[in-house]
Amino acid sequence: MSISAKLGYVFIAPALILVVLFFLSPVILTGVFSFTNMSTATGITGGAYKLTTTVIRDLSEKGISKNTLKTIGSENYSISVDNLNSIKDKNINLALISELEQEHLGKIFNSRRNFERFLKKLNNRPRNIRDLKKVSKQFKSSLINRRFESKDEFIKSLEKLELKLNESEVAIIVEESYTGWVWTSENFHKMIILPETKQILINTGIYVTLTLFLFNTGFALILSISTFYLPKFQASIFRALWFLPRITPSVLYVLLWKWLTWDTGFMNAFLSYFGVQQRNWMLDTTINAWIFIILINGFIGASMGMIIFSSAITSIPKQILFASEVDGASRLQQIIHIILPQLKWPILFVLTYQCLSLLTSFEQILLSTDGGPGSTTEVWALSAYHNALNNYWGNLQYGYGAALALVLVAIGVIMSFTFLKIFRFNDLIKQPRIEQ
Amino acid sequence: MSHNYNKLPILIILSLATIPIFLMYIYLILDTFTDTDPGSIIPNKITLEHWRFLVQNIEGKISIWQVTLNTFIFASSVMLMVLFVSSTAGYAISRLNIPFRKEFLAGVLVLHAFPSITLIIAIFLILQILGLYNSLFGVIIVMTSLQLPLGIWIMKGFYDTVPWEIEMAGLQDGASRFRVWYSLVLPQVRPGLIALGVFSFLAGWSEYILPTVLAPANNVQVLSGYLASLIADDQHFDFNLFKSVGLFYALPVVFLYLFFQDKLMNIYGGGTKG
Repeated sequence: MSISAKLGYVFIAPALILVVLFFLSPVILTGVFSFTNMSTATGITGGAYKLTTTVIRDLSEKGISKNTLKTIGSENYSISVDNLNSIKDKNINLALISELEQEHLGKIFNSRRNFERFLKKLNNRPRNIRDLKKVSKQFKSSLINRRFESKDEFIKSLEKLELKLNESEVAIIVEESYTGWVWTSENFHKMIILPETKQILINTGIYVTLTLFLFNTGFALILSISTFYLPKFQASIFRALWFLPRITPSVLYVLLWKWLTWDTGFMNAFLSYFGVQQRNWMLDTTINAWIFIILINGFIGASMGMIIFSSAITSIPKQILFASEVDGASRLQQIIHIILPQLKWPILFVLTYQCLSLLTSFEQILLSTDGGPGSTTEVWALSAYHNALNNYWGNLQYGYGAALALVLVAIGVIMSFTFLKIFRFNDLIKQPRIEQ
Repeated sequence: MSHNYNKLPILIILSLATIPIFLMYIYLILDTFTDTDPGSIIPNKITLEHWRFLVQNIEGKISIWQVTLNTFIFASSVMLMVLFVSSTAGYAISRLNIPFRKEFLAGVLVLHAFPSITLIIAIFLILQILGLYNSLFGVIIVMTSLQLPLGIWIMKGFYDTVPWEIEMAGLQDGASRFRVWYSLVLPQVRPGLIALGVFSFLAGWSEYILPTVLAPANNVQVLSGYLASLIADDQHFDFNLFKSVGLFYALPVVFLYLFFQDKLMNIYGGGTKG
């Protein structure tokens, strides 16, 4: 192997490891997680087996007999090694314990009366009622709400109840009482039937289309063309001001919009001079919420188009513009016939690129309206975030959130491959010229 | 351009559109050291009251300096890791004979365009499984990984402009390939390293979603989360205080930006923010 190849492996390894672990594997795992019912309730790393009253109610609907459920649901008294060990230090007659251990290990009684009757017949029986109660209490156990870490352990305890269950019944009980996550395609079914899905789809459409056309390309064009015609100093001031939203940390940037629009904010103070009623301009109506979401995102988005379009316009040969002026072209004609045709590719690039970022971004909406009022401004990406990572109810649906995110991941993968096609990729690859 | 046109209408229209930005940023600075009566827009009292959070903890919050230190550790670790990993991987892809070189570059390009924020749910679960949830290290390593495609892409571009003759001369003089990279090529791509370093630092400093989701614990809180939790607290609503904390938070960004403006412009031009 050549030295350069060896060095190549060493040089590429750290990047490869990090990108595979925290970039590629999340792409695949989003797909994997979306086929599970993972949530706060099921946990992430696996579960235990636990019979609760809810599980027993579900089991009766699945055709497990009343008697079986009654036995499972009631308490029982078993002479097990665990129980014996746990009473050894409880100041109980040692002879009684060893008699139970040697002769009666494994016996189960399904009521306190039966167990106490049995205890009374033993050679080393408790002397009085008080001791008897004390002993019997120690052996009380119930499958209800008891947590079993392994399946075998759970089935063994079920068998001890001597219910004579057949295999399929055991399987049903085991499945129902499992608290961990299981594989399911329920998330996608839910996504299709839930009315919210349609709502967030429409919201995403409104958000992406309006921001994209009004600001990210539309206003960006106005900014870049108009600053092109302004003297250098004035142009640089406007460009710097419009660049501020992009470099300001998002939390602070959205805070400034809140200050502008909220009850105690600037707009209210200003409009109160004209007798306008005080209100929360950002959140009082759906229309207002949308206006401000588009403004907040658009003011950030406009600067990217501004930079790209400006550099494209400055690369237009000056002679063409001078010549058109000599020929008597008006400024509008200049823009329409000279500048805009030159901007075709930059506009297409900004449109597709920003479309993808808008589709997947939710940070500014999260910080400003958080999907409100109600969930009228909840977009797809924000809904995935809310379902999986942060909601009012506290039960986080990781599986469902991942399924929602998977839709965006799929769009992202398709669109990023499309970008690769658009870039003239082969031009970028040059063979190394040192062959050692 | 020539001056046979009236530029007043353009100026007026642009100024009108820029009013919100102008107001927000002027009052951001103004409000941190003045008081304004409710219902008025003109400040009427100068005070340092809003900056008291620098010396005295805000009720129910940890010290701002602890949070600032966390943010600094976070941002600078991300910067160092991105710089180190991108400068080696970028060189390998640009100059070294490695198998699947073409595929690596294609992968970097695709990932660069891919919206990484969609992966936040899977990353959250992976960190939980790995036991890195709620640790600054976990967020640093995730943030670094997500920045890498951009970093490798930029460094690759800078390496591509270095003349082969420099390396060949180095090899002729008997230097190893590593020595050539370290002593001859790296100094050539300094502008790239500076731009990428500042960009990664600013990205780490400003990041909100990753630290909030992956490390929400108080002791690893960063300034973005600190400010957001201040604003979310309905009990003590005080825009002037928020703005002072916000200005304190944003000052390093503004200074770094002003200082490295020209170098940063390239990266922002192909930026990834909505």
